[in-house]
Amino acid sequence: MERQIEKQRPTWLQRFWAITRYEMLWNIRKKRFIGALIFAFVLATIQFALPALFNISENPYFAITFSVGNLSFVLFAIVTAMNSISGEYESGTIVPLLTKPVSRTMVFLGKLFAIFLTILTAYAVIYIYSIVGGIVVYGPQYNLQLVPLALIGDIISTFIWVAIVLAAGSVTKNSLLAFLMAFGLFIALAIGGGLISQLSDNPSGLNYIPGSGVSGTLNVSGGQNITVSNITVNTLSSVSTGTDSIGNNMVKVVLYPTSNVSFYHRDIFNFTAPPKLLFAESMGLIALRSIGVAFVYIAVFLFIAWYAFKRSQVFE
Amino acid sequence: MEPAIETTNLTKRYGSLTAVNQLNLKVERNTIHGFLGPNGAGKTTTIKILVGLLRASEGTARVLGQEVHVDQADLKLGIGYMPELPRFPKHLKGKELLDIYGRMYGMNQLERRAQIPKLLDLVGLKGRENDLIGKYSKGMQQRIGIAQALLNSPELVILDEPSIGLDPVGMVEVRELVKTISKEGMTVFVSSHLLFEVEQICTHITIINRGVALVSDTLQNVSNLISGPITLQVEIVNLNESVIAALKNLPYVKDMTKSNNTLNIPLKTFDDVRAEISKTITNAGGIIVAMNTKGHSLEEVFIQLINKTQGGKP
Repeated sequence: MERQIEKQRPTWLQRFWAITRYEMLWNIRKKRFIGALIFAFVLATIQFALPALFNISENPYFAITFSVGNLSFVLFAIVTAMNSISGEYESGTIVPLLTKPVSRTMVFLGKLFAIFLTILTAYAVIYIYSIVGGIVVYGPQYNLQLVPLALIGDIISTFIWVAIVLAAGSVTKNSLLAFLMAFGLFIALAIGGGLISQLSDNPSGLNYIPGSGVSGTLNVSGGQNITVSNITVNTLSSVSTGTDSIGNNMVKVVLYPTSNVSFYHRDIFNFTAPPKLLFAESMGLIALRSIGVAFVYIAVFLFIAWYAFKRSQVFE
Repeated sequence: MEPAIETTNLTKRYGSLTAVNQLNLKVERNTIHGFLGPNGAGKTTTIKILVGLLRASEGTARVLGQEVHVDQADLKLGIGYMPELPRFPKHLKGKELLDIYGRMYGMNQLERRAQIPKLLDLVGLKGRENDLIGKYSKGMQQRIGIAQALLNSPELVILDEPSIGLDPVGMVEVRELVKTISKEGMTVFVSSHLLFEVEQICTHITIINRGVALVSDTLQNVSNLISGPITLQVEIVNLNESVIAALKNLPYVKDMTKSNNTLNIPLKTFDDVRAEISKTITNAGGIIVAMNTKGHSLEEVFIQLINKTQGGKP
């Protein structure tokens, strides 16, 4: 053992990468991460297998309208971020970590980047799977160059939940509470949002909370009409305004930059009544708003998570 | 050069409980400084303030010449810290852990490749470096804890109860290790509630109880603090009154006690007077068959100090 007389100050990048590496190794070795990956694959398989069961053999828009899905967003957020900060406190590993020459901001950013890389890798694999599956089941796919846009959108959607989980974990220092708070919020918003969407004549408030938002119909001439049991659906026409559909909406803006989305209210107690037109919005506005809302949530909750972590003391 | 550690009126309160109370501590460089106190005395709290894990309620702490604050990354380049009962990520292998921590210190690949095997060898984990830490025993976690504290060859090594969880052989090894790293020029600040451990390895000690520093000095001075100089135990054949009278005439001999053929001779001096005592006994007709010095063990000093501050209550 030789003493280093003159120590070199590590660069910002060296410290950042060390933390990222530390966190990445943790993420990919988590059993529940493998579980979430398997779950997402199952959901993806259902997405391209289910229409095929209805004898739909052609859908060239499958790959660009594919999404990992809102349940997967929450699950991936939970498995990658649930004990990222709180778990360190619970296990006591925070003590040796915070006594290394890395600032808490650096630890936070490194962990966040590792979560991003982990989710990016997982989603990329799932998207590749969806493209291959889409081609096999539905034939040649259009506009595959837009798939990365859908993937980025899904990551933004997921990061709302990552931020919420991190904030809950960082404030409470309890992984189980972080999980329950995030998943409870997801369920509450999903149920509440669904009810408001069905019952209210003015559901536009849903545009500003994480979730599915309001469902509308894109007025496009393109797309593929699919008829199932005498009902014709255009593969591109369905639009959701919420933060769960950022990827899909970005793709639709690129494909139909000037198109509008109409929002209707259907009386669920009287299905025979014609749907009532509530309002119409441009596709561009919908996509931009959902991205804006997502970034506000991400910024606010990440700030809470960072601030609680930065100010915390290590008692145990 | 500024002391390795210097605290001024350092205080830490948890609600109504004062864990550390107006602590003034000075740890000189290139010493092995023991931080001794019973469980709950405030040792770990003090150390956590020194390494930036806790904020002081009052007072200041300076480490390696810099004032300590929570979240002060660069200061930790010069500090190696092993927490009490350290816990490391279970999903990492021992070697991976040291590699990642090495990267945090800015060690390049060559440095890490040179340093990590040496440390693994030093702490006796060679051959187990590729096992997951989750499979390590408590003692092995303690060992990897020591290795990571020495990774960057720090100027100051802070060890919080390094022997906890180790078997007797491991405890001896840790003591030897502390002596070794001190010889390499590192300052070692080691907390312990084990008196014999501190006595065996430290050059300086601070005794703390209920958050208050009772004494801080060299080991020798602390040992002499309470009851003064040592006592000689002399076993004599033909122990007669003339021997006792001759010894009583010596100016540095206090009241003696006799037990069978053994004399306990408390001394008033710190000088080595064994030769003169030996000569006096022999001249008076006594035959010395054994002579031992009986110092005031740290344990005695410790108990006396604790009793003083607690009004005799344990």
